[in-house]
Parts: sequence; C-alpha cells; structure tokens
Amino acid sequence: MSPVQLLPVAVLLPLGLAALLLAVAHWLPPRVADAASVLASLILVALCGWLAVQALHGPVVHWFGGWTPVASGRPGVVLGIGFSADPMSAIIAAFCALLFALSFIFAWGYFDKIHAHFHVLMLLFMAAMIGFCLTRDLFNLFVWFELMSIAAFALTAYPLGSSALEGALNFTVTNALASFLMLAGVGLLYARTGSLDFLAMAKAIARIAPDPVIAGGFVLVATALLTKAAIVPFHMWLADAHAVAPTPVSVIFSGIMVGLGLFGILKLTTQVFAADAQVMALVHEGLFALGIATALTGGLMAWAQRHLKRLLAFSTISHLGIMLTAVAAVSATGTTGLLLYLIGHGLVKGALFMIAGILLARRDSVDELALYREGRALWPVGVVMAVAGLLLGGLPAGSLYAASDLIHESAHSVAVMFVLVFAASLTGAAVLRAACRIFAGWSGTPGVEVTAPTERGREQPDRPLWLMLLPCALMIGVAVLPVDSVAPFAGRAAALLLRPNGQAPIVIASDHVTLGSFFALAMTLAILAGALMRERPTGRIARRAARTERLPFDALQFLHSGLVTDYVAWMAVGVALLAGFLGLR
Amino acid sequence: MNTPARILLLAIALVVLAPAAASLILAMPAFGHPLSHYGMAVNALAPHLRNVSNMVAAVNFDIRGIDTLGEECMLLAAVTGTVMLLRGHRGEGMGEHAGGVPGRKQAPRSDATVLLCRFMATALFLFGIYMVLHGTVTPGGGFQGGVIAASSFMLLYLGEGYAAWRRIVRGPVLDVLEGSGALAYALAAALPLAGGYAALQNVLPLGTWKDLFSGGLMVAVNYAVAFAVIGGFGMLLLEFMEETRAPENDPVPDEENE
Amino acid sequence: MNILAWCVAAWLFGIGVYGIVTSRHYVHLIGCLSVCQSATYVLLLGIGFRWHAGPPIFYDHPPGTPAVDPVVQALVLTDIVVGATVTALLLAIALQMQKRRGTLDPQHLRPFRQQK
Repeated sequence: MSPVQLLPVAVLLPLGLAALLLAVAHWLPPRVADAASVLASLILVALCGWLAVQALHGPVVHWFGGWTPVASGRPGVVLGIGFSADPMSAIIAAFCALLFALSFIFAWGYFDKIHAHFHVLMLLFMAAMIGFCLTRDLFNLFVWFELMSIAAFALTAYPLGSSALEGALNFTVTNALASFLMLAGVGLLYARTGSLDFLAMAKAIARIAPDPVIAGGFVLVATALLTKAAIVPFHMWLADAHAVAPTPVSVIFSGIMVGLGLFGILKLTTQVFAADAQVMALVHEGLFALGIATALTGGLMAWAQRHLKRLLAFSTISHLGIMLTAVAAVSATGTTGLLLYLIGHGLVKGALFMIAGILLARRDSVDELALYREGRALWPVGVVMAVAGLLLGGLPAGSLYAASDLIHESAHSVAVMFVLVFAASLTGAAVLRAACRIFAGWSGTPGVEVTAPTERGREQPDRPLWLMLLPCALMIGVAVLPVDSVAPFAGRAAALLLRPNGQAPIVIASDHVTLGSFFALAMTLAILAGALMRERPTGRIARRAARTERLPFDALQFLHSGLVTDYVAWMAVGVALLAGFLGLR
Repeated sequence: MNTPARILLLAIALVVLAPAAASLILAMPAFGHPLSHYGMAVNALAPHLRNVSNMVAAVNFDIRGIDTLGEECMLLAAVTGTVMLLRGHRGEGMGEHAGGVPGRKQAPRSDATVLLCRFMATALFLFGIYMVLHGTVTPGGGFQGGVIAASSFMLLYLGEGYAAWRRIVRGPVLDVLEGSGALAYALAAALPLAGGYAALQNVLPLGTWKDLFSGGLMVAVNYAVAFAVIGGFGMLLLEFMEETRAPENDPVPDEENE
Repeated sequence: MNILAWCVAAWLFGIGVYGIVTSRHYVHLIGCLSVCQSATYVLLLGIGFRWHAGPPIFYDHPPGTPAVDPVVQALVLTDIVVGATVTALLLAIALQMQKRRGTLDPQHLRPFRQQK
C-alpha cells in the first residue's frame, strides 16, 4: 500500500474505532476498550512516523472523494478537500499518538464506571489532532479544531466536582467564543479569495494583498489559535482547565493540544499568508511581543502557585510564550527549534502531570505546602520530578536544551534571550521547589505562594505504582536522549515546511555544551536556593521587602480571577491589540 | 473585577475595534455580487457529475464529505460527553415514575393529549424519515430529517408518560444507532480506499436524475448521518428527561474544603 | 443595503459579547453565546448571496439557472451542528453546577476558593 493510500487511515482508524466502541459499549468487557485504544494509538504512531519518513521525498497528498485539483476542469478552482503530509506535520501527528498511547497506559483501570465513554472521547480527540496536523483545507482545519475542543470540554468536566465544572465552564465559554471568531475569519477569507484550499488561497492572496479583509480574516483565525495556545491575554482559561481535568487528560492538554495552536499559526503563516506583507509584519513583531509577555506572565504566575497542577499549567503557558517567539521568527532556525521544543516540552510536561496524578492517587492532594514531607516513601517519583524540573530550568541535556538553544538564536537579541531564560528558570525552579518540599522535606519559609488558590482532590487510588510511574519515567528518559540522531531529520522537516520546493536552509540542532550553556541552570538553582533558604521576615525592612515582593504577584493573581466574564473581556482586549497593531502599521 | 471595570475594559477594546470593523466592512465584496468561483463550479458541475439536484447535499456528502464525517463525530463527542456528565454518579438505571416538584399537584394526562400526541409523534417521525429519504433530491438530508425524527420522541414522552416512554425509548438501542451511523460513514470512507480508489470516492452507480436513490455513495452516507443524528439527539433527550426523575440516587461527590 | 448584512453580523456579535460580560445567570450566558453564533450565520450566508438567484436545488428549475453559493450553506449546516452540540454540553455542565453550588451566577462561580 502506498503512502497516499494509507494517509486517510490516520484519521479513519480512530474515528471508526470510537464509533465501534460506542455502538458496543453496553456489552464490552471492561479492559477491551483500554487494550483496543492502546493498540490503535501505537498503530498510528507507526503509520504517522512512516509517513513522515516517506514525506522527505515530497509531500504525501491525498484528495478525498477523488476530487483532485484537475477534477473541476477550471484552473485555480480546487473542489475537494486534501490531506497533505509533510515531514513536520506527520511527525507531530505521530507524537500526538504517542502521548495518547502513554496516557491510555497511565489511565488503565481509571475510568471503569463509564462504559468506554472515556475511550470514545479520547479516540475522537486523537483523531481530531491528527486531522488538524494533516489537512490542507481551511474549513477542514476548523472542523478538526472544533472536534478537538468539544472532546476536551467533555473530558475536563468529568470529575464532576464543583471546581471541575467551573473550570470546564470557563474553558468551554472562552474556546467556543474563539471558534466562532475562527469561523467568521474563515468566512472572510473565503469571501475574498474564493477558495478554501491552502495553496489556492495563497495564490489568490499573492494577487490581492494587502487587503483589510485578508488581514481581518487572519486576525480572527489567529485569535482562535492563540486562544487554544494560551497566549496572553487569551490564556486565562488554561490554568482553570488543567488544574481540574483528570490527569490522563491534562497530560494530553499540556503535552500537545496547546502546542497545536502554535503549529496551526505557523502552518497558516507559511502556507497561506506568506505573500501578505501586512500579515507577516503582524506575525514578526506583534506575535513576538505577545510571546515575550506570555513567557514572563506564565513564569511569574507559576512561581506564585502552591497547587501543583495549577503551577504546571502556568509553566506550560510560559513555555508556550517561548515557543511563540520561535513561530514569530518564521525562519529555519526558529522552526527547527519549535519542532524539537514541542516534542521535548511535551514529554517533560506530560511526565510532570503524571507525577501530579500519582500524588493525587496516593496522597489525595497536590498542594505542595499540605504535602510537606509526605512524599518521602515515594522517592523514585521524586527523582523523576527533580530531573524534569532541571530539564525545564535549562539542564544542558536532551531535546529541550537543544531546542531552547535554537530559539534563543532565532530571537536575535540578547535582552529577549535573557527574558526567555529567566521565564524558563522560574518555571524550573518552581517545580524543583515543589519537589524539594514534597519528597525531600527541604523548605524555607513559604513566600508568595501561600495566598494562591488551592483545594484537595482525589483520583482513582488502586492502580499499581509501577504502572503509573513507567510511562512517566519513559518520557523523561526519551527527553534526555541526545538529539544527534534526530537533528538532521528535524532540520529537513522544518526546511520542507517553510519552503516545500526544498530551498530553505537546513539547520542542524546540537546539544553541544559550553560554559555558557550552564547560565540558565545556574539561574534556576539560584532562584531555588532563594526559596529554600528564605526565613520569616522579622525586621522592619525585611517585612517591607516581603510586602513589596508580594505586590506584583498579588496584582497578577487578582487579574486571574477565575470569572469567565473577566476572561471574555480580556479576549476582547486581545483582539483589539491585534487589530490596533495592524492599524498602526 | 467588578462589573463597571469589566465594561470599561470592553469599551476600551471597542474604541479600537470600531474603526477596524468599519474599514473591514467597507472593504468587503459588494453584497449580492460574490466572488465564489468555488460555488459556481459546484453548481455547474455537480448535476452532471453526480446526478443529484440538491447542490448542498452534493457539497455536504460528496465534495466535502470528510468535513461532514468530522461534524458527525463532533455530534458523537458532544452527546457522549453530555451523557457522561448528566449520568454522573446517578448511574444508568430507570426509575418507576417521573419526579415531581414538591408542593405542586400532578394533573393526570387527558385523553385528548394522549391521542393527539400519538398521531403527531408518528406523523413527525414519518415526516423526518421522508426528509431523510429525499436528501439528495430536494432540500433536506440526514441532519435535518434526523433532528425532526428525534424530536418526535418528545411527543412520545408527553403522550405516554415516563414509564411507557422509557420502555419504548431505550438507551442501549440509541447508542447502537448512533455508533453504527458513525461507523457506517467511516466504512463508506474506508472501503473505496481498500478497493484502490480515494477515500470516500463515489464508486456506487449514480442512479437517474431526480430519482430518490440518485447520487451513489451519497445515499448511503445520507442514511448513516440520519441514524447517527436520530440516535444522538434521542440520547440527549433521554438524558435530559432523566434529570426530571426524582434524583435520590445522585449523591454529590464529597468535596473537602481547605 | 450593500453593507447591511455585515453591519448586522458585527452588531450581533458585539451585543452577544456584551451580554456574556455582564451576565448574571449561566443560562443567559449560554443564550448570548448562541447570539454570537448567529452572527457567524448571517456573515456566511450573506457572503454566498447573489441578487436574482434562486436556491441551489435544481429540482424544479433546470441546472444552469442562477443559484446562490451552496458551499457556504454547507458550512452553515456544520456551524449549526457545532452550536447545538456545544450548547447541549454547556447546559449539562450548568445543570450539574446548579446541583453542586445552588447558584448559576457567573460572578460568584470560580474554580478554587481563594485562600486568604
């Protein structure tokens, strides 16, 4: 079977399996759904990986229904919907499937009571993500985006506790509004270009640009993708949703779902809007600024949390900001860095959420202050968490380090690099601080995190520890592997995304370690030491210093109020920012 | 943030967005003179290439068929999610009778209501099936007809009462309907693939113009969508109506406060 | 007349967002989301409209008579299904919320009570 014939199977298999599981849900023995889901995910990893390698020779294109571009008999009119697998899209799809496989293993026996409904939703979720990566039609992109969102909404509300429902409501309202904006944007672009296929639209835009309708369409579609990618000021839903969703679902959210928003923006920018100078200026400068703001906000908020899942959610926001700066560069260096960062960060963050799940199952809490010294019996978990924290904070090993190297290079500015390193160090130090408190019993006086929102929780307690720790350790293990074997592939994949005719420069990532490589790690350890050696402020100056230190954090906490009405107001401000930037240029 | 602060934020956003929206509206193509090369090509080519007279159905089920598969799976996901959320800790069981609001007298159902509902439910269901069958020929199709047919279940509830309704409309049957509808669509996409064609390619005989079964694979896909929609919306109605049952078996999970 | 459809779409979206931001009851908020969605219907159908053209159904008229754009009508059909499903999901969440907290006021519902 040729790659072209096997390409649609990547979405048809999970969709068909989900439908089948739903149809026989009442009569299915308990573990069959688990096993079938793991098997399907592994098949998809193999299929998408194979397609990625095949696509190095040229994109694998499949036209659904046989509606090829020549079927219309009219030049320039593309009637059908196509899937186009280039190496980067296919390898990201394979990574999605891998995360799902590991998540299904982690969730073995978790969702016993609900007749395979969890597996139906997760399989649909996976199908939507793979379809999102592979499609070359704008409305088809919207359909997969929407399917992804709906499955995520339902999965977030599953625990049915009060916080889970509120988090799910915030998530649903903000993302539903974003998807309406995307639909309006698709409509505007269709009105102006007369087509929905990426390449046909690109040709039309090259003729028409610059045009307010095209720019307006881009702003609306980008708003939706930025909301999914949790970029300031559209980011507030993420902390609420990730903190309350069941752990296997949070792994997918932080691991890859939010990264797909950024990948979508990159794909649209390079394949549709490359010829529109107005849009490219917005991407290069406007999105770059938003990325820096997001990185800082996420890092500061992560430092100020005590609920571990909320901490990890803000840390994800921070790293998404770092990735956005790479997207905004639209260069070979940035894109290669983005690919490696998506995978490296996804692995590390997924492992960290699984650790939070282990703590919820074994200790009924993820509050780092409430769990002080409670984790000493679970020391292997602590070791994995410490390694993950060091990786986030800049340990010079593995894919995350090689990727951040490339991203700093693509930023072309020492000041920006310093800000990005500071943000990442804050997130790494926050994770290490939590690990030290919970597993080692080292702690200074709690600082700004005391006033952070928190609550207890519980998850299915009777799964064996090794079953939960195994996927976790595996992910960290893969994340620290040296990148030399995958770097040439990553470079070629990025180059083929930027210029499909193969004329972009190929950038080879390396985790070559120099003295300067330890700068980020040093900053992380310094911040950590500051937290661990902190004492109660007794003198007048110390108390005043502590109060001043609390001010920015209190202001940030106030803005992240948890009310969906606030979030929608901030989304309006965000759209105004993007539109205002366009107006000023 | 209190409400005045929020409105102020919204007003500031509006001050920037209003001129942007104005320039966008003025730059839009003239209303009534669309560009739509795509739409015009479909109107010109689909009657001859696919022997159907409903262009919207041709776009939905054939030319952009994979979009419709995604949309049907969206329906699947939302219904599964809603069922998961509403069933919650209540579980799946059926009660003996519907719940009541304390203090409000329950009036017995009148004969006129029962008779009218029996007529109307049957008529509505048949009308929905009629719309589904004519999907490729006149306005209608799997989605529209399926929703009409599913809404006849409400009239059944009104006319027959909770106990009889629960005996007629069963959860597992609706699940099977829904799942097999989506599965049939996925198979309709996969089988041409196995035969060496493109996925979802129209390989069945196309039938005659204006005939009920014109359109080839579109007919099968249309029916699959109808099954899935009837099952899905029926399930939604079932779960929401179950909420009116006396909810004594719905323990709220204990939440521990700090 | 030229810009009426676009102005209506913009107004509907704006008033929907205003309703969400000032809402005091979640069911009202869900209704406002539906209003925002109606804006997209108006926009899409307005984009496909053609003066003096009929519906894209060639049962009574021969193929070749001027007809409006069928592609946007298919897009709107998908949009309607999306809207119905999201609304159902939101209402289910709101139902469960009412049981847990006894209130559906968005101003009072926030995940994690603040620790002071």
